[in-house]
Amino acid sequence: MSFSPLVDRLLESLRVLPGVGPKSAQRMALYLLERDREGGQRLAAVLAQALDEVGYCQRCRTLTEEDICGICRSPRRDDGILCVVESPADMLAIEDAGGYQGQYFVLHGHLSPLDGIGPEDIGLDQLEARIDAEAVGEVILATNPTVEGEATAHYIAAQLDGRQLRLSRLAYGVPMGGELEYVDGGTLSRAFNGRLPFQSE
Amino acid sequence: MQPEPAFLLHKRPYRETSALVDLLTLGHGRVRAVAQGVQRPGSRSRGRLQPFAPLHVTWVGSGELKRLRLMESTGSAALLAGEGLLCGLYANELLARVLPLELPGREVFAFYSATLEALPRPEARASALRRLELALLELLDAEPRFRDLNDGELDPQRRYVYRGEARAFETLPPGASQGLDGRTLRLLASGQWEAPGLAGPAKALTRAALMPLLGARPLRSRELMQRLAARRHGAPS
Repeated sequence: MSFSPLVDRLLESLRVLPGVGPKSAQRMALYLLERDREGGQRLAAVLAQALDEVGYCQRCRTLTEEDICGICRSPRRDDGILCVVESPADMLAIEDAGGYQGQYFVLHGHLSPLDGIGPEDIGLDQLEARIDAEAVGEVILATNPTVEGEATAHYIAAQLDGRQLRLSRLAYGVPMGGELEYVDGGTLSRAFNGRLPFQSE
Repeated sequence: MQPEPAFLLHKRPYRETSALVDLLTLGHGRVRAVAQGVQRPGSRSRGRLQPFAPLHVTWVGSGELKRLRLMESTGSAALLAGEGLLCGLYANELLARVLPLELPGREVFAFYSATLEALPRPEARASALRRLELALLELLDAEPRFRDLNDGELDPQRRYVYRGEARAFETLPPGASQGLDGRTLRLLASGQWEAPGLAGPAKALTRAALMPLLGARPLRSRELMQRLAARRHGAPS
């Protein structure tokens, strides 16, 4: 048995969402149609508006419906430190962790020669122009600790070579609450190489 | 099947939690497989399945696309950074582009792992890459033959340019300054790829020999390296 054409189209459309298969799509559609039409209407309106209006911040390239996002506009943030991340989700993770008061730059990807993704695809020219235009004193390369993230960090570092600024990379380490026995060899050896002086205070 | 030594050449996301992987294996050459569940957050194999890390894998399926079953890391990945990392990406891109699926080549595998060991040392990189390229060319029956277009001996006094499609050298007119000189080519022919001063010609030669195999699409990792080199020397890229 199948539903009417419009309901079928709704089921099909819901499946664009990650993790949603035919069964979950059916549950969601029936829920909205039978139990919460008002919520469904709100969802439809917000979804349409967001898809229409949300773009990239002109300064840091994160997702926002404004020209310049809230963090970039904030007078309380330190414009002298710039943290380069691969995705808006990484930026959010750093914000949630707290403690960082500088600015961001979002690449929306990483260099990946085998996928044909080059420097021009991840806005590295824009990053360089921004660093030259603003008085940035430190650039934190917070790309992922993967081969592609490493390659991206290396490329940015080489691109910025010769400028008067501090370049840093996130440290590799053992996860909090982790047990050495279960940490993979690569992480452990890097944590060893990057060990810090012991501080009791 | 027995666990097979392998290296990950490339991984791209497939469906929601799986990945499509290209592996270089010891006995079966390049193998393409689906690795199920490795993109799931917190998956233990996620960290294991990284390029340059020695693995042992088994798979099922007889078609072109296998299903990866077991995956164990055997030792830690070479700690590649900077220039060495880009060279590693170059090796991966080259193999993924040129090596046909399931063409066994033990030499290529051996030289690939030797290359990974050499990459952290800048002075060892070039010769390791050349040996890998040469092993690859030999496997594909495309290694240069040190003869001229008429199948004659190379003259040490003349200069030549390599013609990949003919696998032979075209003689340049006397007094030409481009190309490679016959004396250098004779040294390369006798296998002296690491002799002083031969690094440049060897690189030019393997590149010319690989050209017909790569087709029109350039290698992106090489472009990346060239751009960085151009920046470093202050030349416009």
